[in-house]
Amino acid sequence: MERLLAIWIEAFARESPDGSTLRTHAALQDALTVLCPFTESIRLDLLVLPLRGPSRFFGGEEAVFAAVRQTVREVTTGEASLGVADGLFCAEMAARRGLVLAPGKTRAFRRSLPLGVLGRKDVATTCQRLGLHTVGSFADLERAHVAERFNKHALVLHRIARGEMNELDTQRDPRLAKRLVQLRGEDRPREEQVGFFGQRGAGEDRAEAAAHRVRRRLGADAVVVASLRGGRVPEDRATLVPWGSPASRVHETAPWPGQMRAPSPATSLAHPVAVQLRDGAGGRVVVSSRGLLSGTPGAVHFSNWTHRDVVWHAGPWPLVERWWSTNRRRAHLQVLLATDEALLLVAEAGRWWLVGIYD
Amino acid sequence: MTGSGYSYEHMFAFSPQRPVLSADLVASLRPVTLAKTRTLPLGEPWNALVPDAGLRRGSTVVVQAPPGRGGLSLALSLLSESSARGHWSAVVGVDDPGVVAIADLGVDLRRVLFVPRPRGAWAESCADLLDGVDLLIVRPPSRVAHGAARRLMDRVRERGTVLIALTESAAPWPLPAELTFDVTAAHWATSSRLDARLLTVRITGRGQAGRAREHVVVLPNRRGRAEAR
Repeated sequence: MERLLAIWIEAFARESPDGSTLRTHAALQDALTVLCPFTESIRLDLLVLPLRGPSRFFGGEEAVFAAVRQTVREVTTGEASLGVADGLFCAEMAARRGLVLAPGKTRAFRRSLPLGVLGRKDVATTCQRLGLHTVGSFADLERAHVAERFNKHALVLHRIARGEMNELDTQRDPRLAKRLVQLRGEDRPREEQVGFFGQRGAGEDRAEAAAHRVRRRLGADAVVVASLRGGRVPEDRATLVPWGSPASRVHETAPWPGQMRAPSPATSLAHPVAVQLRDGAGGRVVVSSRGLLSGTPGAVHFSNWTHRDVVWHAGPWPLVERWWSTNRRRAHLQVLLATDEALLLVAEAGRWWLVGIYD
Repeated sequence: MTGSGYSYEHMFAFSPQRPVLSADLVASLRPVTLAKTRTLPLGEPWNALVPDAGLRRGSTVVVQAPPGRGGLSLALSLLSESSARGHWSAVVGVDDPGVVAIADLGVDLRRVLFVPRPRGAWAESCADLLDGVDLLIVRPPSRVAHGAARRLMDRVRERGTVLIALTESAAPWPLPAELTFDVTAAHWATSSRLDARLLTVRITGRGQAGRAREHVVVLPNRRGRAEAR
């Protein structure tokens, strides 16, 4: 869990009708972004930034606090309450109390909080009647008992009390990011990225606009994005789809027995190039049905009548897939050329194909 | 742990209510932050070999290598750290990117746009993308004209992007770059398969970092990543 510095400005909790609160908040966010590009607006009265990077950069946490206080004073002419803890929920609670928790103390702090801070009166009242006054005592209840007695909201609170979740859903103002963008109009901040809590960042919008421009220029499938899926060999594991198409974002992490190990070719040909593999005497090298080479590869011949000498090879690694339907039989071979270039070849249906270049 | 009466004063490393730093100290801290945000981070091993341990925004980097001798891997390895930290990048003119190798290098594929075959419009595509990404790799499909390179570099400077031009010695980038990586030799270490590649790279900077230095790095290593030897 990330150590966060929360900046709580009580005066901003009630928004002024003339919009000055929002404008000051935007100015403050801009100023704090200069100190730390990961500064995030949670609510009008709450901003957070990760403490680890800035404190290493400024030479200590106290230097960060000083810089932040100074910035707040300059922008808002008021004071902010700072707090440090792990996770957004505890960071806000610490800020409201003006506390800097030492690393590892967040759990004890969270457990010592009164139940009211979880923000649901029904749960707090019922628990108090049961003699449970702190978040810690609520966390010690069995999950099943909580589920039995309360509704699903209480289960979320229970997870927060246990530290399994880091933020209340009521903590964040869902409209704030959009309002800040509208306030800034076309003049969007060129910030690095904001999405460190997982929401869509400013960088994504910029990239999307750029991709649109290229598509208008070159055609709908000119911009592609890549992802990985399961498979044994590099050319099977790569998926390249036109940007904007409904890609199946399945990130395959399951193990694949027999997967070819790294390094993989940096160039993986979408359309393999037919080549010939010959031995020292000029005879064709083929892969037998038992997965053995018929000779020692001596040269790779390309279709444009050029050839390159092979100084070393590894494999072949036979691969029999889908024997129950298409019965695809392939064998992969790594060859190292005399020019220090390395290629990945595959033999299929009695022919050799160039599928990868270790560029 | 007792009930609500628990006191947590002893948990704190220090109080945030200390006197603030003197104004001149705070002022001296600020420009440093700005300089830092003007650099994009580099991962191993480049952070130890390159001045400022990063790529300055608005600068142009040239990666020059004979074909098939690791230039592409080198250029992509310059993306990995920034990409992992959430920056967007684009790769223009690399016809058949080896997706697995790119992922192995530590590049986050969710934030990379590929324009594999820009045909004649590679420079225009780059200009379009410069507004939207923080790093841009381009492999020009043909010899680069002086004017096109200058326009692109001006735009890069204006947008604060980093341009990584991947060229061959037969068709070099026509203008001097802030940083040049020149692959002079590639040697594969093998066992029962291709294991790792030792690249000899000559790094030349401009200005005070202008002295050319030759380094040997492992790219890719047995896990497909870049590392110092």
